[in-house]
Amino acid sequence: MSKVMTGIGGFFRSIGCFFRDFGEAVAKGDVFVKLSLVWMGAGYFKRKQYIKALLMTLFEVLILYYTFAFAMDYVPKFGTLGTVQQESVFNMETMQNEFNDYDHSFLILLFSLFSFVVWAIGIVVWLRNIIHVYELQKRAEKNLHINTFREDIAEYKNHKFHITLLTLPVLGILFFTVIPLLVLILVAFTNYDQQHMPPSALFTWTGLTNFKNLFGMGGMTITFGYAFGRILIWTLVWAFFATLTTYIGGILLSLLINSKKTKLPKMWRTLFVVTIAVPQFVSLLLVRNFFADNGIVNTICANIGLTGWLRDVGLIRTSYIPFLSAPGWAHVMIILINIWVGVPYQMLIATGVLMNIPSEQLESARIDGATPAQVFRHITMPYMLFVTGPALVTDFVKNINNFNVIYLLTESVFTTTNQALANSQAKEVDLLVTWLFRLTQDNYNYKMASAIGIMVFIICAIFTLFTFNKMIKGDREEAFR
Amino acid sequence: MKKKINVVLHNVLLAVLAVIWLVPIVWLVVTSFSAYTGMNTSTFFPENWSINNYKNLLFSADTVSQFPNWFKNTFLIACATCVISSCFILMVAYATSCMRFKARKPLMNLGIILNLFPGVLPMIAVYFILRTFNLTNSHLGLVLVYSASSGLGYLIAKGFLDTVPASLREAAYLDGASEATTFWRVVMPMSRPIIVYTVISSFLVPWMDFVFSKMILNSGISSQWTVAIGLYNMLEKSLINTYFTQFCAGGVLVSIPISVLFIIMQKFYVEGITGGSVKG
Amino acid sequence: MKKKLIAALTAGAMAAMSLGMGASAEVQDVSLTVWGAEEDQAMLQEMINSFEEQYGEYANFTIQLGVESESTAKDTILTDIQAAADVFAFASDQLPDLVKAGALQSLDELDPAIQNYAGKSLDDIKNANVSGSVEAATYDGTMYAFPMSADNGFFLFYDSSVLSEEDVASWDSLLAAAEAAGKKVGMTLSSGWYNASFFYGAGFTTGLNDDGTTSIDWNGTSADGYTGVQVVQSMLGITGHGSFLSVADGDISNQIASGDLCAAVSGTWDATAAQKAFGDGYAATKLPTFTLNGEQVQQGSVAGFKLIGVNAYSQNAGWAALLAEWLTNEENQAIRFEQREIGPSNIAVSESSEVSENLAIAALAEQSAYGVVQSVGTNYWDPTATFGEMIAQGQLSADDEAGIQEALDTMVAGVTAPVE
Repeated sequence: MSKVMTGIGGFFRSIGCFFRDFGEAVAKGDVFVKLSLVWMGAGYFKRKQYIKALLMTLFEVLILYYTFAFAMDYVPKFGTLGTVQQESVFNMETMQNEFNDYDHSFLILLFSLFSFVVWAIGIVVWLRNIIHVYELQKRAEKNLHINTFREDIAEYKNHKFHITLLTLPVLGILFFTVIPLLVLILVAFTNYDQQHMPPSALFTWTGLTNFKNLFGMGGMTITFGYAFGRILIWTLVWAFFATLTTYIGGILLSLLINSKKTKLPKMWRTLFVVTIAVPQFVSLLLVRNFFADNGIVNTICANIGLTGWLRDVGLIRTSYIPFLSAPGWAHVMIILINIWVGVPYQMLIATGVLMNIPSEQLESARIDGATPAQVFRHITMPYMLFVTGPALVTDFVKNINNFNVIYLLTESVFTTTNQALANSQAKEVDLLVTWLFRLTQDNYNYKMASAIGIMVFIICAIFTLFTFNKMIKGDREEAFR
Repeated sequence: MKKKINVVLHNVLLAVLAVIWLVPIVWLVVTSFSAYTGMNTSTFFPENWSINNYKNLLFSADTVSQFPNWFKNTFLIACATCVISSCFILMVAYATSCMRFKARKPLMNLGIILNLFPGVLPMIAVYFILRTFNLTNSHLGLVLVYSASSGLGYLIAKGFLDTVPASLREAAYLDGASEATTFWRVVMPMSRPIIVYTVISSFLVPWMDFVFSKMILNSGISSQWTVAIGLYNMLEKSLINTYFTQFCAGGVLVSIPISVLFIIMQKFYVEGITGGSVKG
Repeated sequence: MKKKLIAALTAGAMAAMSLGMGASAEVQDVSLTVWGAEEDQAMLQEMINSFEEQYGEYANFTIQLGVESESTAKDTILTDIQAAADVFAFASDQLPDLVKAGALQSLDELDPAIQNYAGKSLDDIKNANVSGSVEAATYDGTMYAFPMSADNGFFLFYDSSVLSEEDVASWDSLLAAAEAAGKKVGMTLSSGWYNASFFYGAGFTTGLNDDGTTSIDWNGTSADGYTGVQVVQSMLGITGHGSFLSVADGDISNQIASGDLCAAVSGTWDATAAQKAFGDGYAATKLPTFTLNGEQVQQGSVAGFKLIGVNAYSQNAGWAALLAEWLTNEENQAIRFEQREIGPSNIAVSESSEVSENLAIAALAEQSAYGVVQSVGTNYWDPTATFGEMIAQGQLSADDEAGIQEALDTMVAGVTAPVE
């Protein structure tokens, strides 16, 4: 934890330094530095860096153009998320509807955030620009060499190569992950649902109402709190078992395949790998039909008398085995099927790691007369945990958000018989993420989905903070070199 | 003697496991050769065999089944995604692994935080961003969705590059090589396993995804779809009885090239993930 | 004020229109998109071609046809109404949600345009179609879609070589005969669309309020004097029978095809499957009666229709409406029946001899006397599906009246929950 704190402290300190530099630049800079506050190209112009001056001017013009031609249509409405309801009148002559200039709450939210990000970038560039120009002034005063444009470019291939490398990927992440996520985080504080769907209706800010409902404090959706608790527990149980079973299964399978007793290990490995090469939507949908209430496995079980026996024992009440349609059965089956999907992956990873166990250790253990079980417990497993520990944490988080397996196996097959869950559109087998998805797809309940999404994040974040800090003590990345 | 029995048992155990793992795959393959078009729930093997499913799928496209088109679309999308994603991932991995700069730690932490959010949450916002630029219902839009944020998946590649000895790069710097030259001439040539791994795994993304593609290609024009949406659609309630076996045939046809890629990849997967520790 | 002005302007424009019709030499370019079911694509293309021929003199049409199943249209449209097709087919139960999201163009507003070009008024269209279909296309007194077919309801398919006409009259005799033949009777219970049929039969109702909430009275006493508990007890009597097979929603066609069933509750979409499975014995009729509090009560059903609506955000709402009208007019409903055996909502077509000879459609027509137009909100579906599943799995016991009442109360609470 303390590491995180110092990290945060350092972050703020560097921001402080940044502003101090800026203040100094403004105070001590010459006319052109001060002019750069208004015309960003001014300082470069003075130092004869004409191309740079031109680029900076262009950047400034673009930001200003964006602001007045586009952002101003949306940002001022950010406080209310729009007030003008859509109306239309049919025009007989053109055979078209004529719309008023109505507000679209979602686009207001989206473009406002977009503008905030653009402006934030603009301000940072503007601040750095002043500092930079002031540095140029100092160099000029000391009669030091001032880079030509060509030399500046060369910098980007060398000391500033990281900027060249990172600009595009970071912009991609910014526009396709960060902004969309921020938008949806904000949606959790609005009433964006089926009754308030743009473009025909407007939605607006509602504060913490959705979170109150989620925790069962809202009077009207009492079951939401209950459903959230139930689903959260299953999500954690699932993530725990899914991670653990595939992890251990993968290690065991790879030990089995890589054992000296195995004939043709390559062939066996390939056979297992083929099962993961079939896209999940094909293989899981197939398995779902395989285990359907009236599917082929049930036919076989009925023919060999298993179904009848189970009914006699009292394990089932139906005329079929509800592999994927009754709570307890489905929970177990989902974890089993996930083993089927996940073990081959883990097997590949484990194979790689196992090959690297220092062979001297294994040899000496064998000479000391250790049984294979002892070798596994005292050498293989600790080594595996050391190498793949962090991956185990990320796997757990991935399983909390494992949409595919649950959705493909249960969507439109599983009907809950728990009325309290049904009243909040949830099922026993839902993970938080599939519940969230169905709330948006079937019920357009974006506000609750967003609130759930934030909760998922908080859970994952707490978990990761605790375990990661324990497992990746310090800069492990340096340790390898 | 006892040892021999042990070996036999060992291999029998493997065989049993392999059979369990392969049963659904075998079912997929045999069902794709069934003459019956719906789902056969009474016997494991089809009662009548036929190759009509493949014939229909490949040569007589109707409005439901446009497999050749879907395959072509997905292939093109996959190629574009593959190029962009691989570049992004390797660029980010090199910058975070081999270079030291102020924003490095904050950026990496941000990456970890972003990965904690459920991926389907921001879907609707991504959709509206694409629509603003008129990129919905276009394959370019889909390529952007798959590849724009791919930089976030840099961790495995970074793990590999971390194990490339720093002394090699230092030697290059001493020879006067720039960072860019080091990247191209020194580090990349040593990173073949991770490049192959990255290329193949980003190539596979469009073949597997059905959630984003369904949302973005929403004009209802089936010839524009990807394989995943098309096949998924065949299981609609009103279609499953006529198209289930074609779905299986489609599944087989998609799986063949992917299997080949996977079999190539497994070697690099193992090397790439465990990185230079292989070299000791 | 502004609104009035626009209204006045429109009226003026309309007057000018009727005076100068045909004088406008300029032919506008109109591009439209249409969404229809997968199976209908080829047929829809023909209809679009004939539309282009019919109206070609007024505009240059570019019409694109896309695939969107009628049962999932709402989900796709509501994700982004502005990107949805101009003209789309959908099942009538989606109409309230579509209207409330503002996705459907009011047709009343377009009446003059339709009169002008198609030569018939909205009232003519209403009169030409069966009243139930018009009711299903109307919300709050405004018509929002054109009726396309009247076959989105369910009835009983049976194998007449196993069951006689007397057998299928009531659930009791039906199940007894099925047991004697060693076969099963299939019905979907885990859906509020199917299981409501028992409650509707007993005189219970559902409804949709202005604020989007659903009203439902199944936990009380119906207009016919039956209690909800009694209905559930009757349902348990049926589902507890060894020859009853509860089928998952959407799986019924598979079950019919499997050959284990001698009768199944389903709709025209399964007619081909039933024909194949039952062969010469293929027959269809209205739903049976069921024993309720010692009396025989006719099982009700949901009168479902398929409609074609116009996107309220269409760039060419007027022409879109004319196309929608064209796709649902008498001639095209007749074509629909000829090519795909889709039951028409148009009265003239449904009275033609070919249609009335069609077994499935005849059964549907017979059942329609007991059909109810189901108008419910989103919160209806999950609680009722769960309730049906509880009955199907025998989680309620017929003797435990208090337990049944509690389950009914919980379901009603879920269905009527405010949507905020």
